[in-house]
Amino acid sequence: MKIKINKISKAFQSGSKDMLVLDKIEFQIKEGEFLTIFGPNGCGKTTLLNIIAGLEQPTQGSIELNTSKEETKVGFVFQSYQESLFPWKSVKGNIELALESRLRNRKERERISESYLKEVGLLNFANKYPYQLSGGMKQLVAIGRAFAYEPHFFLMDEPFSALDYDNRIMMEEKLLDLWTKHKKTVIFVSHDIDEAVFLSDKIVILSKRPAKVKAIIDVNLKRPRSIETRLENRFFEIKKKVLRIFKEEIK
Amino acid sequence: MNLHHKLLSLIPILLIIIFWHLVVFSGLVNSFLLPPPKDVFLKIVELIVTWTIIFDIIATLIRTGLGFIGGIVIGVPLGVVMGYYKKIYALFEFLVDFLRSLPATALFPLFLLFFGIGDEAKIAMTIFMSSLIILVNTMYGVKNRNKTREMIAKTMKIEGFQLFRKVTINEAKPYLFAGLRVSISLSFIVVIVAEMFIGSSVGLGYKIFNALIVYKISEMYSVIILTGLVGYLINRLIVYTERRQIPWMGF
Repeated sequence: MKIKINKISKAFQSGSKDMLVLDKIEFQIKEGEFLTIFGPNGCGKTTLLNIIAGLEQPTQGSIELNTSKEETKVGFVFQSYQESLFPWKSVKGNIELALESRLRNRKERERISESYLKEVGLLNFANKYPYQLSGGMKQLVAIGRAFAYEPHFFLMDEPFSALDYDNRIMMEEKLLDLWTKHKKTVIFVSHDIDEAVFLSDKIVILSKRPAKVKAIIDVNLKRPRSIETRLENRFFEIKKKVLRIFKEEIK
Repeated sequence: MNLHHKLLSLIPILLIIIFWHLVVFSGLVNSFLLPPPKDVFLKIVELIVTWTIIFDIIATLIRTGLGFIGGIVIGVPLGVVMGYYKKIYALFEFLVDFLRSLPATALFPLFLLFFGIGDEAKIAMTIFMSSLIILVNTMYGVKNRNKTREMIAKTMKIEGFQLFRKVTINEAKPYLFAGLRVSISLSFIVVIVAEMFIGSSVGLGYKIFNALIVYKISEMYSVIILTGLVGYLINRLIVYTERRQIPWMGF
């Protein structure tokens, strides 16, 4: 899925005044690309994501997709692992629920959900309930579920931000494995430079509120990436580049 | 809870019986008004082996059951509607909070007026009380449903009635069960109080009150203890159902 973000502006009413949150945001995502939106906390990243998903309407501007709005399927992964899964469904049931809209056959749903569980390495937990899983595992199931839904593209809103560092490194690699295999466009939101550099093809840096596009940085690190990638000089160079632009925003 | 813990829970009961025994035998209280535990327990055995209490238990259970089920039938749908629609909530919030603050048993005259002195009045009074408790809990369950999960379901194209059936009901279940637990215990109490004061010829409340009037004090205490046991078993039943219905809460 190719996505074009066309001068998106968003203002919220705050008292009698309009408060501008997004200011003419413009960028493009190529088919199969991994793009990260990076910006200071509270700059409106989530609002932008919701607009791309069609959950909120922009005040100005438009999103261009190459499918009609009704048929576009978005694979959403949210930030909080406590809220990402349906607690009354088993791990398997959570994935099957995402398949219900496109697959009538229950057996088929079971088969597909198991194959995705195998991919994320949680087949042994198929019949467990979310409360029996760790935070990282829950997010892994949520990601598996999003992939099983076979969306046109993914929107991931800081899915790993609440995890420990080691868990996070592991999860980022698993996500890249899945992405490499399925070749789907991903728009990922992060406020962690390491994460943004490690995962992406392209980083869009936003300014603080009202958010504008400060810079778009190409991450030309070779793939597949692993923990070794994080030790390469190129990795540090890109990180420096991002931080140099970003530091004006945290002053 | 393991066997060891279950045995521990018997210790305070034993202590109370010993205390009761000592109080009576030391002459601190009139043994006519508080008979020794031995007399009461022999009476319990007698009531059970002669089957005289069985019909009272059954009558009380049927009234409790009807009042409780009536409460579900009325309370759940109204609670769902009030939880979903803010306007309807605003319209009835005060009325519901007012009505549930009234002790149902104080409304005797009103129920007698409308339903006569038969079983109808007792059951109607129980329904009045239980439906309000169930309504309020269902309402909070629906109102406090997790909005992130609702959004996730919507991104998976689960909408309209499907959203209600597959998601909202389950979101509300823990609240609903909390309401059921409270309302079944209170239904039992309301029925017993009603049996005491609204003419009846069978039922645990009638038995207690009748024994008091004719000064069969041992019998009165033995029926009270049996009533407590029945109430306890009702509560166990609902807890058991709850654990089977919402195992995902991780009790």
